[in-house]
Amino acid sequence: MRVLQALAVLMLCLSFATVQAAEKEINVGFIYVSPIGDAGWSYAHDLGRRGLDGMEGVKTSYVEAVAEGPDSERVMQNMARKGYDIIFATSFGYMDPMLKVAKQFPNTRFMHCSGFKMAANMGNYFGRMYQARYLSGMVAGGMTRSKTIGYVAAFPIPEVIRGINAFTLGVQAVNPEATVRVVWTKTWYDPATEKEAAKSLLDVGADVIAQHQDSPGPQEAAQEKGVYSIGYNSDMSAFAPKAHLTAPIWNWAPFYRSVVEQVRKGTWKAESVWPGMETGIVDLAPFGAMVPRDLQDKVMAAKADIVAGRNKIFVGPIKDQKGAVKIAAGAVAPDPDLLGMTWFVQGVVGTTE
Amino acid sequence: MFRIRITKRQEPRGWSSCLVVVAAVALSLLLSGILLSLRDIPPLTGLAVLFKGAYGSRFAIEDCLIKAIPIFLCSLGVAVAFRLQVWNIGAEGQFALGAVGATWVALTFPDLPGPILLPAMIAMAALAGGLWGMIPAILRQRLQTNEIIVTLMMNYIAILFLDYLVYGVWKDPTSFGFPMTREFSPQAVVGKIGSTGVNWGLAHCLVLGTAVWVFIRFTRIGFELKAAGDSVRAARYAGIPYDRLVVLVMVISGALAGWAGFLEASATINRLQPSIMVGYGYTAIVVAWLARLNPLSIAVASFLLAGLRVGVENLQLDLQVPAAFGDILEGLILLTVLAGGLFTSYRLSVRGH
Amino acid sequence: MELAIIVPLLAAAVQSGTPILYATLGEIITEKSGVLNLGVEGVMIIGTLTAFVVALATGSPILAFVAAGIAGTLAAAIHGMVCLWFKGNQVVSGLALTILGTGLADYLGNAYVGRTAPGFSPLALPLVSEIPIVGPIFFNHDPLVYLTYALPPLIWYGLMRTRPGLCLRAAGEYPAAATAAGLDVAAYRWGGVLGGGFLMGLGGAYLSLSYTHLWTNNLTGGRGWIAVALVIFAFWRPGRAVFGAYLFGGIMALQLRLQASGTQLPSSLLLMLPYALTVIVLVLSSWRRGMSEAPAALGVNVEPAD
Repeated sequence: MRVLQALAVLMLCLSFATVQAAEKEINVGFIYVSPIGDAGWSYAHDLGRRGLDGMEGVKTSYVEAVAEGPDSERVMQNMARKGYDIIFATSFGYMDPMLKVAKQFPNTRFMHCSGFKMAANMGNYFGRMYQARYLSGMVAGGMTRSKTIGYVAAFPIPEVIRGINAFTLGVQAVNPEATVRVVWTKTWYDPATEKEAAKSLLDVGADVIAQHQDSPGPQEAAQEKGVYSIGYNSDMSAFAPKAHLTAPIWNWAPFYRSVVEQVRKGTWKAESVWPGMETGIVDLAPFGAMVPRDLQDKVMAAKADIVAGRNKIFVGPIKDQKGAVKIAAGAVAPDPDLLGMTWFVQGVVGTTE
Repeated sequence: MFRIRITKRQEPRGWSSCLVVVAAVALSLLLSGILLSLRDIPPLTGLAVLFKGAYGSRFAIEDCLIKAIPIFLCSLGVAVAFRLQVWNIGAEGQFALGAVGATWVALTFPDLPGPILLPAMIAMAALAGGLWGMIPAILRQRLQTNEIIVTLMMNYIAILFLDYLVYGVWKDPTSFGFPMTREFSPQAVVGKIGSTGVNWGLAHCLVLGTAVWVFIRFTRIGFELKAAGDSVRAARYAGIPYDRLVVLVMVISGALAGWAGFLEASATINRLQPSIMVGYGYTAIVVAWLARLNPLSIAVASFLLAGLRVGVENLQLDLQVPAAFGDILEGLILLTVLAGGLFTSYRLSVRGH
Repeated sequence: MELAIIVPLLAAAVQSGTPILYATLGEIITEKSGVLNLGVEGVMIIGTLTAFVVALATGSPILAFVAAGIAGTLAAAIHGMVCLWFKGNQVVSGLALTILGTGLADYLGNAYVGRTAPGFSPLALPLVSEIPIVGPIFFNHDPLVYLTYALPPLIWYGLMRTRPGLCLRAAGEYPAAATAAGLDVAAYRWGGVLGGGFLMGLGGAYLSLSYTHLWTNNLTGGRGWIAVALVIFAFWRPGRAVFGAYLFGGIMALQLRLQASGTQLPSSLLLMLPYALTVIVLVLSSWRRGMSEAPAALGVNVEPAD
């Protein structure tokens, strides 16, 4: 009898212990390549992280402005040693360091944004921002009168180039003769340079300014000149209420929540995911009042097409700036081609260097 | 009425400069503690996190050593120049060009055996850095051009040149368009010491530090550099035209910074990418001023400031303190040390009326 | 590039050169008194942040502008303390101030990124802005630009034709003789440092009140350093400083406009233009006249007598 009682107590204790273990806090770490205030990119990810703070039993932490390379390797090792359950690295350059650390810490989960390497405990993810860019291009194409659209862009890396291309395709869907002129600022967050770049485009006759930058500098320039603008990352209408038509925006919170849920349930596995507009990870900010109803309807119809998978955007025939056919008629560009895009479509004026 | 009277000492007090540095660092920590409390972080907790992150574990110490290596080499060079009152602010750019030079060798001759390839990379790095240091020196001596501005501007130019190469001709075709070179072949990589994370660059530092120590101690130029306040006199006693001394010193300075660039590219990142630039050249100025021309002091100060960088990462992770906290501390330490120089170089006495 | 771009480019040059001009004028005053302040970048960015924060808090751009000047004065005072009281090395102290200033602005300004503050808007001057070519280039800007039209002659007059200006210059040229003649050199050097700091703060304020209505931690982008170089280029003269500032403003605006015009030159190389030009301009200035235009006692701390 005594033995049975003792055994029962022991079983109770053990199950209690396992219940305790199951309710252990989940520690989620984030690494940003730039300060969260400065760069809309990191800011958007941080908004996603904050979306996790409401979840029960989840604790988040972040390190910002971590240089790619050995610094990031150290930060990730640090996090892994502290027992973080899952680490999100939000820049391409973190890929190789993360791979090294993933091999050292097989019990920690790693998620890399915008890369392509994987391991048993390392997956990668991204969002199809180019879909939202396409829609914003349609709006720009519909609103321009000078048929010149200016694009202030940061660095000639594939995601920026892909965004410009998708944007231009959207412009041409509504306004086949319009061109998109690109100016590189070589900075993600310098309002002064970005605004000056926008002005330089305005000087050559652009009457809609779009951007792949993280400050509202170009928006200000457009508003001051009395023309239109397209924002980025988040709704920038507060900065340029008379100019801001719409903006392609990120919405990472639902994605991060679903990943952390997988971790909690134990169903997480390393895979390569690139969700699109259908999951809400990218979207279009609300239209400004100046966008006419019929254009809005056209864009929303196109959005429905994209969400339903009917419009893959990079569907041939698509030519590059020199006129060579890069995507054959009827063909859909495969994901790797999109991820490594370094050429501009016809209709873009500018270099990729 | 009491007045404080200041008179210059004939010989600056030696031992008290150590005391001054300690007091200065303490004061800086105090002031930065105030800044922490502005963010509702208890200062002592914050500083404890900083120290623990910097020196609190074997991994942390290793990380400090890894970061101290390039800081040490850059500081060695800057200290030599400063002693001659040649204000070399260009360590950052000389570092960048050194990395570029080493990368050129690594990419052009990837299959050479290690014992040939590595010295070739070093030679090219030192040559490139030395050249970049020589130009401002010649401009200073021949044309009386202010070396502070020239070296600073050349920093920007060197970094932009690095960007130009990695965005253009040196871009890795498998990097999906992101700016980075191919990964170096194994023979081009300086390996790690045993099973630690620290690379053999530590041994390079030992050798070079000893070489500089020997130079200071046992050559005529070296002795005069260390002892004299008047640099022209140093040159005269050493029998070298002052002009050539300045150029020599700047070449050495640039070569050492270039060597640091080689080590970062080869040992730490194993390729060249824009994020190799993290401001070691500017931290080196702080170290050079704290430690003067004593290689041992330079080593200690480098280790300390490397610890600051590593600790600040921990501060971010645990307490979400912005990364700029490290810069603030660096600036404060330098200013307080400068102010403290009053007590070592001057005698204060109180005179009553 | 078409001709129609030249006028907007020159107008952009004036706007882009204005913050640099404020800072250059400030540094001229400081250096004329014998103190070398390399912390311009740090002082400017503190002015930028202060202006932004005060504008947000009070809604008054003018108040923000003045507050920035005061903040610049305080920041420069740190340099003054270290050099004038503690006899610290002026070169290194200025560098330290840059590191501290930029770090402090970054740290304190964290919460203000992504917000917009009320600032100044362009105000076309009646009549004169209608003059072809000259009108749009000079008379279609915000009030802070117009202020810089008045400053150089005022500063020139103050330095060269008034007694305090003479004393200030004496403190920079021959401090020992001036002290012997009964001048309080330290006081005038303090004046130079603080007055210069005020203008540098104003220059910083321009960036967050006029040039943009935003804040980020690197808004000054190296303009402080260019200002230091321009002082040499200007031979320490306010009038020539104007030319230099607009030249550099123009270069910064030019490389973007070259891109907008569809040039095939790589942007990294174009971005080098301002810095390369600074070096060239410095070399040419020093070559022609050496540093002989510099205040004789520039950068040298006054050793206590006895």
